[in-house]
Amino acid sequence: MSTVNLPRHLLASVEKPARYTGGEWNSIVKTVPEAAEQALRPFLRYAFCFPDTYEIGMSNLALRILYHLLNERPDVWCERVFAPWTDMADRMRRENLPLFALESRTPLHEFDLLGFTLQYELAFTSVLDMLDLGRVPLRTADRTLDDPFVMAGGPVVYNIEPMADFFDLVIIGEGEEVLSEVVDCYLHWKASGDTRTREGFLLAAAQIEGVYVPSFYTVTYKNDGTVQAILPNRTGVPATIRKRIILDLDQAYFPTQSIVPNTEIVHDRIFLELFRGCTRGCRFCQAGMIYRPVREKKPAVLVNQALEMEKTTGYDEVGMLSLSTSDYSALSELTDGLLCELTPHHTSISLPSLRLDNFSLELMEKASSTRKGGLTFAPEAGTQRLRDVINKNITEEDLLKAMELALRGGWSGAKLYFMLGLPTETIEDVEGIAHLAQAIEKLYQSLPRFERPKRLELSLSTAMFIPKPFTPFQWSPQADTETMKSHQMHLKDLLRHSRSVRYKWHEPRQSYIEGVLARGDRRLGKVIEAAFRGGARFDAWDEQFKYDLWIDCLEKAGLDPNFYARRERSRQEIFPWSHIDCGVTEDFLWSEYQQAILAQTTPECREQCSACGAQCFGGGVCYE
Amino acid sequence: MSETFIVRLRFSRREPAIWLAHLDMMRTFERSIRRAGLPICWSQGYNPRPQMTFALPISVGLATAGDYLDLSLEEDLEPADVMDRLNRSLPTGFAILAANRAAPSKASLMSLVRAADYRLETPGLAEAIARIANTQPLVVEKFSKGKMVDVDIRPLIEKIQLKGPDCLEMRVKAGSSANLRPDLFLKALETYGDLPAEAAADCAVTRLALILDSNDPESAGS
Repeated sequence: MSTVNLPRHLLASVEKPARYTGGEWNSIVKTVPEAAEQALRPFLRYAFCFPDTYEIGMSNLALRILYHLLNERPDVWCERVFAPWTDMADRMRRENLPLFALESRTPLHEFDLLGFTLQYELAFTSVLDMLDLGRVPLRTADRTLDDPFVMAGGPVVYNIEPMADFFDLVIIGEGEEVLSEVVDCYLHWKASGDTRTREGFLLAAAQIEGVYVPSFYTVTYKNDGTVQAILPNRTGVPATIRKRIILDLDQAYFPTQSIVPNTEIVHDRIFLELFRGCTRGCRFCQAGMIYRPVREKKPAVLVNQALEMEKTTGYDEVGMLSLSTSDYSALSELTDGLLCELTPHHTSISLPSLRLDNFSLELMEKASSTRKGGLTFAPEAGTQRLRDVINKNITEEDLLKAMELALRGGWSGAKLYFMLGLPTETIEDVEGIAHLAQAIEKLYQSLPRFERPKRLELSLSTAMFIPKPFTPFQWSPQADTETMKSHQMHLKDLLRHSRSVRYKWHEPRQSYIEGVLARGDRRLGKVIEAAFRGGARFDAWDEQFKYDLWIDCLEKAGLDPNFYARRERSRQEIFPWSHIDCGVTEDFLWSEYQQAILAQTTPECREQCSACGAQCFGGGVCYE
Repeated sequence: MSETFIVRLRFSRREPAIWLAHLDMMRTFERSIRRAGLPICWSQGYNPRPQMTFALPISVGLATAGDYLDLSLEEDLEPADVMDRLNRSLPTGFAILAANRAAPSKASLMSLVRAADYRLETPGLAEAIARIANTQPLVVEKFSKGKMVDVDIRPLIEKIQLKGPDCLEMRVKAGSSANLRPDLFLKALETYGDLPAEAAADCAVTRLALILDSNDPESAGS
């Protein structure tokens, strides 16, 4: 094993060098057993790789959990690797230094297993950048026994096909159990002595439920470019891969000796995970489908975890994580418990965006006795019709009532989130966004002066809707970039006299490429590689994104981005992700799509079960 | 207001902690103090913070063998106990070397700093020093208050002692009224002493000690 020596001039010349130097409190350094000892008892070096900066990666809950989970084992040392920012990556290449793990500064290529977590498609080129900088062959086909096995997990892997050429194995679903099984499988393979081919381990790993080995499946295409079939090309490999979930989150492993970063990260506080899944069923939301069914943690468990973490980390702030915190059934009990236990130690609670109602305003008052936290509100669409299409269960009346409460309660404004380009959207829906903002302005003006804040400040932002796999809109075409731009301009124009509104929008071309990758197939692998070779990395960062390069690479590969993003797909089409099973059935998603077109809503899980299929896991909200 | 008790700590920071920015270091100490369970006083107001004062900011990349930090505590703890508890709670690279009671005074710890001793290590230092021996003044450009200004750093240097061809120790003015940062000194060596830019960029700099304005330097805690 070697270690990478980082010269002073290198660290002194880059932005935020503490990103690269490790040594944080609660980070784990182990002694690697000697080769002779390893021959008797195999030891696994695991690199948890996050294809974005340290500040973003360290804010990721999967990393936080799995890092410590793996390090609990005496036969594993899990270390962390983040994508070096462009200044560092360029200098490392110039000085011929390989990418290394923070704990031991061992080069990436010397590890046994690399586990990437993928949170967004636009991180794909950063995966390649990290492999390349770590001297790991990019393609599975080019890797030898001396190279690590490269794995992927996270929400994006529900359609990992565009990256199928680069990952040896993929973990579908929640990692707490299956990751340990993969590690066992690897150590067993090492101990067996029969390690002449990489395939031996991959075949054994493919037997584990939730493990997908892309190279064991052959994809054929029809003349029209759509998928003909996805079939196993080995015996003993499952035809479909079902995601793994943890049924009892109270019993599940959760680390309380969490790493405390030396430099400020995005979510720099104690994390509490309230629940997984979401009962709401918003039709645009992939997370709401793939994390089903909803499973909650008990408030007493969470309060204990917070207290323990407060001691072991020294953090003075506790944050809550979930897809929709307002839906946590014991929110009041939890926040009361936390406030009562933590306030005496000067530890504050940071509330995430909550659905605006009386209750959450009270909660915010309680949680921030000195400061008013920001309010966020996500109506997503400008008219009731379109909100019904997407099954976003909020009315204009709800919004105005909540805003009145907030304004009377001393808040001077809110952030409003919308999407442009939703299926069936018309110009009236776009104008509806402006009307909603103006209705809030009117409401503000109608309040007596002494019952409202001095000034109203609304921050309104529009993101581009991107149809994602495993959602009812997976069949739907993505809106075109030009129309989106004109809608943004129209909206900006409508809001020009609304002085209390600040309008921000998202670059539609970036969303277009994200849309291509999200519903893409294996043929995009060479496009991603070409984009990386052409200089693409950190594509999710506006200032790094190179649209023309992507278009050029697609063209050179003879692939039409509109085929992936802008095509209405038929009910019969086999998707590139059809061999992945997230529990929610295609029939349910299709019926939701049909309901959407009719602007018919579907009740949330706790009101009425809509038989989405997630019941098959035998737990969670389906059995409450 | 209840009584507060000041403990003056002398601490070191080495690799990898030298790469923390000063704000990051402050945050790291705050959290370490909380982990150690020390009864730190909290400031009043909107956003209460643990009350601690560093004698002099430490720039990114700078090691120190002896900087000072005052903690305001609610209880009169044994300084050795404070040192011990904090040492068990600090991340890699930080260590508390000494702890002493200090009398609460109107003068802040920062205002007591008069000078600092530094050790610089990089190839070619002695030669570069020889070349600047007769350069008078040593004017370098410095970024100050949003613009570049020329400063003569010669009056800020109290003494320089060569420790070998590639090592020197120096005492320079430090503190809020006059302060010489070692990177500025290296820039002068580059400009007037032909120290190669690579050598300057790779120079390891350690603050050996802070000289506080007091009759008996030992009372400051060392």
